[in-house]
Amino acid sequence: MQSWAFQAGFEDRLLQSLRPNYRILAPVRGADGVGRLQPVRRWTELSAGTLPLIPLKKVVFPPHDVLWTLLGIEYREPAPSTVPVALVGIAPCDLYAFAYLDLVFADDPHYQRRRQGLLLVGSSCRPNAECFCPPRREPPPFDLFLAADRLWVGSACGEDMLTALQEELSSPDDLPLPAEITDGQQQVPENLEQLFGASAGLPLWREVGERCVSCGACSAVCPTCYCYEMSDEALPDGRVNRRREWDNCFFRNHALVAGGQNFRPTRTERLRFRFEHKMLGFGALRGISSCVGCGRCARACPVDIDISAVLASLAGGGKP
Amino acid sequence: MTVAFQPVPAVIETIDETVADNHFFTFRLAEPMPVAPGQFVELSIPGVGAFPVSTATHSGGATFQACIRRAGRVTSALYRLGEGATVGFRGPFGQGFPLEAFAGRDALLVAGGLGMAPLRALLQALLEERERVGEIILLYGSRDPDAILFRDELEGLAAAGTIKVRFSVDFATELPWSREAYVCRIGLVTELLRDLVFVPTKTVAAVCGPPSLYGCVLEDLARLGIDPERIFATLERRMQCGVGQCCHCVTAGVFVCRQGPVFSLAELRRMEKAI
Repeated sequence: MQSWAFQAGFEDRLLQSLRPNYRILAPVRGADGVGRLQPVRRWTELSAGTLPLIPLKKVVFPPHDVLWTLLGIEYREPAPSTVPVALVGIAPCDLYAFAYLDLVFADDPHYQRRRQGLLLVGSSCRPNAECFCPPRREPPPFDLFLAADRLWVGSACGEDMLTALQEELSSPDDLPLPAEITDGQQQVPENLEQLFGASAGLPLWREVGERCVSCGACSAVCPTCYCYEMSDEALPDGRVNRRREWDNCFFRNHALVAGGQNFRPTRTERLRFRFEHKMLGFGALRGISSCVGCGRCARACPVDIDISAVLASLAGGGKP
Repeated sequence: MTVAFQPVPAVIETIDETVADNHFFTFRLAEPMPVAPGQFVELSIPGVGAFPVSTATHSGGATFQACIRRAGRVTSALYRLGEGATVGFRGPFGQGFPLEAFAGRDALLVAGGLGMAPLRALLQALLEERERVGEIILLYGSRDPDAILFRDELEGLAAAGTIKVRFSVDFATELPWSREAYVCRIGLVTELLRDLVFVPTKTVAAVCGPPSLYGCVLEDLARLGIDPERIFATLERRMQCGVGQCCHCVTAGVFVCRQGPVFSLAELRRMEKAI
């Protein structure tokens, strides 16, 4: 991959060059210790590599999204936002999350409309005790990727960004992305499909699942959780909005149909469902783990459910 | 293909209220939407929500017909609407019954309750090319005689000898009727299988009913000798988006809305908690 060394102060000039065309959002760790996605003007304001508590999916797949508005007898598409967003200082795991959502919503016009205008500037980071890195496969999606005093270009759009900043850069070298971005990866066992299929009777699922209080935090903070609920909103002026809203597979009504039949009535079944979705995938995406290792769900869970620990214990024979 | 969330407007043309709380609706669509037997649509009542419903008719798509039970919030709202009201349709979704599997074989349809509606669409499709299929047998269980859907139509087909029909009802104070062409018994629909004369090796079965029906009847059919690859059932799940996104309907990693809702028993056996 082509890589350039840059001089001190380059990051600020990069932000400056983005500002006319983009709304720049970056992770900022607040005084309360919580990471949030916020508008930034200078590089020193952002906490590169910090994981915002509410993940970046909200930019392309908002928690509440209007799919259409009915006015009288006329269905209207929502008005597209005019200012494209640049996400800057994004950790590799959060970039990998976009790679997965891109597959899930490949045919979805609402996602694609936002995703196509999105500029991603990644930042290197190292795994800590609370997280691990996604398995190394393709490089994550990004337009630019910054690590220490080097940068990499991942798209034609990223290349265009650099043309105005050429004099700040060295001549290009052929260098791989820093190895540390996938250093601390958790190995997903190759026979996970078989392990999972044979594990239905293990006490692991019940013992961990029974703790769940259905608060919904795990999937709200997961950068790749995409279950959604559709609901209608009747406005006082007569308009109707059909919205889709983030859902959670631990909610008791997730598989409930009218008439009262619930196809996942117990927490045990719901934990298995969540684990299967994260680690094995559904439908055409079977076999692709969507867990990027960010550790948000385990940190957010009030009763210490950690599906990467469930994975480890399943690989080790099923001891909780 | 790009996913479309906007419904096609449709008008309620007629409501047949013969069976209480299980009305038979005919909708006329602003744009044709051909729905194959076993496929479903999402029927939208703007301001209230949407629900999945299978087609009860094999038709060109200018109209859509379905038996809709008053079961929840959105279907109750539909029951408050009258003829002429406008609703919306998204679809068609899912994989329907594999009609080619029936060619040159006998067809055994087993319906429980509202499960008769999707099987009526299948039956119509089979009757359209009657000569391609051998014998057609319908076993149909209902709660009580008043709950039998399409009763006149099915009795007519049986009386004409086009198909064989056996009814059962769970509850009745006396035997509702018994005529040569269409016997009715008191008991479960599975009991109709006991003395049924058919050739399992040349039979294709299609089953539709509540989950409790699948628990017993699917494996019964296999035990009687029908190839599990040729026993089909349509799964009820919470299908909301219809396009394999929202995840409510997923069973054993499979999007029922997209990869189903019709599955063979051979497939269902490989799917944890499908039955």
